[in-house]
Amino acid sequence: MKIRALVLDAARELLYRKTLLFYFGIVTLVHLFLILALQTDVADGAITSIRVFGLEGRASGGGFTLGDRAAPATAGLTAAALVQGIQIGISFVLYPMGILLAVFATSSLVPRMLEKGTIDLMLAKPVSRPALFAARYLGALLVAGANLIYLVGGVGVILGLKTGFWNWGFILSGLMMTAYFGALLGFLVLIGVLMRSTTIGLMMTTGIFIVSLVIRLPHANSNWPMLLTSRTARFLAQGVVEVLYHALPRTFDVGQIASALILHQPVLSWMPVVGTLGSGLAALGLAILYFRRIDF
Amino acid sequence: MRALSGLDLKVSRGSVFGLLGPNGAGKTTLVKLALGIAFPTAGQVSILGRPAGDVGTRARVGYLPENHRYPAHLTGAQTLRFFGRLSGMDEPELGRRVESLLRRVKMEEWRSTPVRRYSKGMMQRLGMAQAILNQPDLVILDEPTDGVDPVGRREIRDLLLEQKDRGATIFLNSHLLSEVERVCDRVAILKEGRLVREGQVEDLTRVSSAFEVETHGASRERMETLAARFPGLVVAPPAPPPVGGEAATGVLEGALVMTFSGDPAGLNRLIDALRAEHVSIAAVRPRRESLEEVFVKVVRDGEGA
Repeated sequence: MKIRALVLDAARELLYRKTLLFYFGIVTLVHLFLILALQTDVADGAITSIRVFGLEGRASGGGFTLGDRAAPATAGLTAAALVQGIQIGISFVLYPMGILLAVFATSSLVPRMLEKGTIDLMLAKPVSRPALFAARYLGALLVAGANLIYLVGGVGVILGLKTGFWNWGFILSGLMMTAYFGALLGFLVLIGVLMRSTTIGLMMTTGIFIVSLVIRLPHANSNWPMLLTSRTARFLAQGVVEVLYHALPRTFDVGQIASALILHQPVLSWMPVVGTLGSGLAALGLAILYFRRIDF
Repeated sequence: MRALSGLDLKVSRGSVFGLLGPNGAGKTTLVKLALGIAFPTAGQVSILGRPAGDVGTRARVGYLPENHRYPAHLTGAQTLRFFGRLSGMDEPELGRRVESLLRRVKMEEWRSTPVRRYSKGMMQRLGMAQAILNQPDLVILDEPTDGVDPVGRREIRDLLLEQKDRGATIFLNSHLLSEVERVCDRVAILKEGRLVREGQVEDLTRVSSAFEVETHGASRERMETLAARFPGLVVAPPAPPPVGGEAATGVLEGALVMTFSGDPAGLNRLIDALRAEHVSIAAVRPRRESLEEVFVKVVRDGEGA
C-alpha cells in the first residue's frame, strides 16, 4: 500500500502540472478527427471510397488528393495500407511529441522530492530509499505510458472499426515507445538526483534524446572520421561515437523498429531495444544507488 | 566541517526532551542522523532500541521537520491520508484518525483546501497532525511553534502534553525557550556540535547559592533595614501590575520577595532574624533562573561549556 500510495502520488503530481493533460488533449483531438472527419467504405479489404470532412478522397500510386474529381479513384488502396499510412504519420509526429512532453512533465519529479522540507518528511516514513525512488519513477512512467497507450489504443480501435483492419503492430509500437520513454526517464532521474535541478535535468535529457537520434549516423558510417588527419583524433572520435551510441538509448533504431512493426515489416534486430532498456535500467540503478547513500 | 562531535545523549522513554542550541549548533543534524536522513561519519545512533534509519522502526516515529513542505497538489485531508498510508496505517483507522485530528488541530474547515493556500500557522497545525497521525511511540518535532500565534502555540503545547500522557516520548527542537521550559522534563544544550549542558529543567534553572524569601505583612522599609544587616539580601522591587487580569508572579498580595545570596547557614540566620522580628514567612525557595537566562549564559558566555 505504501508503494501504491507513492506511485499514485507521483502520477497525481504530474496530472496537477497539466503538461501531460495538454498531450492528452491533442491525442483526443486526433481521435475525434478520425471518428468525425474520416469516413471510409471498405469492400473485401479494399477501400472503395474515402471522405475527409465530406470531401471525396482519391488515391493511387502513393498519391492522395481531396475534392479533386479529376484525380483517379482509390483503386488498389487497401484498408491495411490506409491504416498503416495514417498510423505511420501519427507515429512520426505524436511519438516524439509525447516523449518530449513527458520529459518536460516529469523533469521536476525528482528535484522536487529532494527539496529540503519535502525529502525529510518522505525519508522519515517507513519506506526504504530504493522503494521511494523507484515508486516515483514508476508513477512517472505510468502517466506517460498511459498517454501513449491512449494514443495507440484509441487510433488502433477507431481505424479498426472504420476499416476492419486491426493493426496490432501499432499497439506493439506504442508499448515499445513507452519502454523507450522508461529508458529516457532513467537518465532523467539520474540527472535529477545528481544535479537536483529541474532545468538542468530537462536540458540534459532533451540533449540525450537529440544526440542519441543523430549519433546513429556516424555509427552506421564507419568512414566518417576520414576528414580527421590525425590517427589519434580519428580513434578518439570513433571511440566517443561508439560509447555514446551504446551508452545512450538508441532513439533512431527504436524509431525504425516502431515503423517496421506498424508496417508489418521484418525487424532485423531487437538489439537496439534491448540496448536501450539496458542503458535506461543502468541509469535508474545508478540513480537509486546514489540516492541510497546521499545525506540530506 | 564537523556538525556534531563527541556527543553522547540518551533520551528516556516517555519523557519530553528539549534540544536547545543557537543556529548551526547541530540540532537538526542530530535529528536527521536519528531518522536516517543523514549518515554519521563515525559513531552510532539508535532510536527505540534499533539502529538509526531502520525502516521498520520509522513506523513508530512521528516527525515534523523544520520548514516542512507538503505536496502542493494535495489538500489538507489528502496530505494526511498520503502520509498515513506511507506510515502503513490501515485505511479504516486512517480515515478515523484523519477526521479526528483535523478537528483536534482546528483545520476541519480547511480539509478540502489545497495546502499551497495554507498560511504558515495552518501548515504547522497540519504538520503537527501529520506527526502524531500514526500514534507514534516517539514524536520528533523541529520548531513546531515556528510561525504560530500565541493561541496556536498553546494548542500545540496541549497537544504535546496529550502525547506525553499517552506515553509517547517527545523530542523537541525549539528556539522558543519558554515553550521548552513549560513542557520539557529534560533539556540539552548544544553549541558548535558539542553537548554543553544536559539535565532536568529544574536542575538547570536552579541557582545553587541563592534563595527567595517571601514575607507577609512586613513593610518594605522594615525589610530594607534588615537587608542592611545581612550582606547578600536584596528586597525585590514592587511587582508590576497584573497583565490581562493574570497575576505576573505567584506572589501573594501584600507580600515582599527578598533574594538572599549566600549559603544555607546564612539563610538559616536570616530566617531566625525574621522570626525574631515576628515577620511572617510565606515561602522560602531556591532561586531559579529562566531557561532563557541559562541558555544565554551557556551559549554567549560559555558557562558550563
